[in-house]
Amino acid sequence: MEWAELRGYSRIMDTTAEVLPESALRDAVDLLVRLVEAAGALIIFVGAVWAFGRFLLTMARGAGPDRRFNRIRLTLGRFLALGLEFQLAGDVLRTAVAPSFTEIGQLAAIAAIRTALNFFLGREIAAERAEIERDRRKDADGSRARAEPV
Amino acid sequence: MTTALDLAALATTAFGLVAAAVVLAAAGRLLPAVAVLLDFLTAAGLLRLAGDPSWSTIAAAAAVIAVRRLAVAGLRAPRPG
Repeated sequence: MEWAELRGYSRIMDTTAEVLPESALRDAVDLLVRLVEAAGALIIFVGAVWAFGRFLLTMARGAGPDRRFNRIRLTLGRFLALGLEFQLAGDVLRTAVAPSFTEIGQLAAIAAIRTALNFFLGREIAAERAEIERDRRKDADGSRARAEPV
Repeated sequence: MTTALDLAALATTAFGLVAAAVVLAAAGRLLPAVAVLLDFLTAAGLLRLAGDPSWSTIAAAAAVIAVRRLAVAGLRAPRPG
């Protein structure tokens, strides 16, 4: 590579560094990560408050079948899964700036925990949904059998 | 933000304890109550993981989630005999 060409590249790099210094990029990404993680945390907290209120309401209306509690847990699980998606998005954003090895290790551990939890939550939600659907079908069959006596 | 997250996690844990007691009183069975408590504890663990967690926080959250999985699997397993 010619010396003049190299100097040209170096000038471009300098200009880029002036326009978008790494510290500014780091600040911007940090702000975005905080916003996204706060949104995820808010969703999880709102889900917990909602589920708590529903549990109290169900209790106040009189003890219902377990199915009602399962339905509330299913919705809480959905809130948790949504919050997790936001927090994973925050993790991905964090990798945008060059972190230290300790930060990379922590990030990997957190991302692994969140991904595993998201996977298990998804499986639990699917299982609960199948159980609710089975109960509903059983109830429908039972009421049909009562309505049409042989 | 960390203080707010800690407070939210604490509140979620308290919600979980009360909700589990409510479910235990209403359903009269331990399994649904424990499942509800573990759900809320998972939510609290996730809230603690947000922000800038240290290694000990990460290890604690991972332990809670692992214990939760183990407890749910144990409770769901059919009883021998």
